[in-house]
Amino acid sequence: MTVVPQQSGQIAVGGGGNLYDVLELILDRGLVIDAFVRVSLVGIELLKIDARVVVASVDTYLRFAEECNRLDLEAGRKAPQTLTGVVGEVTEGGARGKSKGALTGAVEAITDSFQAGRTGGTGEEKEEAEPEPRRGSAKRLARHRERPVRHREEE
Amino acid sequence: MSVYVYAITSSECDPRLDDLHGVGEEAPSLRTVTEGALKAVVSDAPEKLRAKRRDLSAHHEVQERLLSEHAVLPMRFGLTAADDDTVRAALSEHAELYSERLAELAGRVEFNLKASEDEETLLRQVIEESDEVRGLNEATRGGGGTYEERLALGELVAREVAARQDSLTAEVTEALRPCADAESEGGATSEYFLNVSFLVDRDRVREFTSAAEKLAERYGPDVELRLRGPLPPYSFV
Repeated sequence: MTVVPQQSGQIAVGGGGNLYDVLELILDRGLVIDAFVRVSLVGIELLKIDARVVVASVDTYLRFAEECNRLDLEAGRKAPQTLTGVVGEVTEGGARGKSKGALTGAVEAITDSFQAGRTGGTGEEKEEAEPEPRRGSAKRLARHRERPVRHREEE
Repeated sequence: MSVYVYAITSSECDPRLDDLHGVGEEAPSLRTVTEGALKAVVSDAPEKLRAKRRDLSAHHEVQERLLSEHAVLPMRFGLTAADDDTVRAALSEHAELYSERLAELAGRVEFNLKASEDEETLLRQVIEESDEVRGLNEATRGGGGTYEERLALGELVAREVAARQDSLTAEVTEALRPCADAESEGGATSEYFLNVSFLVDRDRVREFTSAAEKLAERYGPDVELRLRGPLPPYSFV
């Protein structure tokens, strides 16, 4: 299990309901029943292919070599960037703002999940990303996160 | 009319569904199809379906709603059946299997963990720690060296990177395993070298997330860990 790590924009802020992080779960996992038909989904195959970049190729080797050559070793390690990770409190509904090392993403309030009949509109802040192919690596991810949208407002 | 199928749950589960809507532009209303001890949540299937945010959201919200009340078997996005009778037949055909699975998943939720590393930091470490890499790097800088040397450098680095990430993956998985009942390797992506889901008992969610936070503290800012949950058990059906 080896993949090429992409250039990283590093900063990642997980929202309460960031769909992007669970895209592949919704699309690729879940129960499949033979008697049912899967609607063909344009773009999904792309996403899958794009997600699996194998490390053992000449292109990859040359890219690594180039990246190494480019590093300014004299400058030493670059200063660690501040990560504004958001980990929701397990006990607080929709809590955010707790900064914690490099653990990002959202641990959604478990109480939230238990609430029956909660409505999607109020009090539920959903940051979501377009279900687009992940071509753009972390930089792209970061861009998505810079402009979170609330789907309720948008649609 | 064909129906879109969201999830299977127990017939005892009676979630509120009238404030949610189904996939597709028409945002159809949700209903249930019951057969014996099982119940499927369905809606009229849209004419056209694309994996739009709105639709993925609608699909996912049904799972979350069901999960808030009962164990749920989430369907993969995009499954349709010819009609309600086909759904009933499918529930009936594997009734025992589905019921067993629901029982196993009762009181458990999925957590998905992804990890990525800052490439530059990683490469610096590799260069620092290997004389061979350092030598080849010096030789090939500024357009110097041969093609073979560049290839050799890249291959060495790739191997080092892979080894580090494999060992990190093992370390992370081993650290969280004791807090989980099952795990499912999701396969690495171009962004994340680690992508694994854990099935966690609701009573141990705090324990699990604490363990993940400890890992994040241990690795510092060079490794980004993204944890998502509690989620419907997509990876454990």
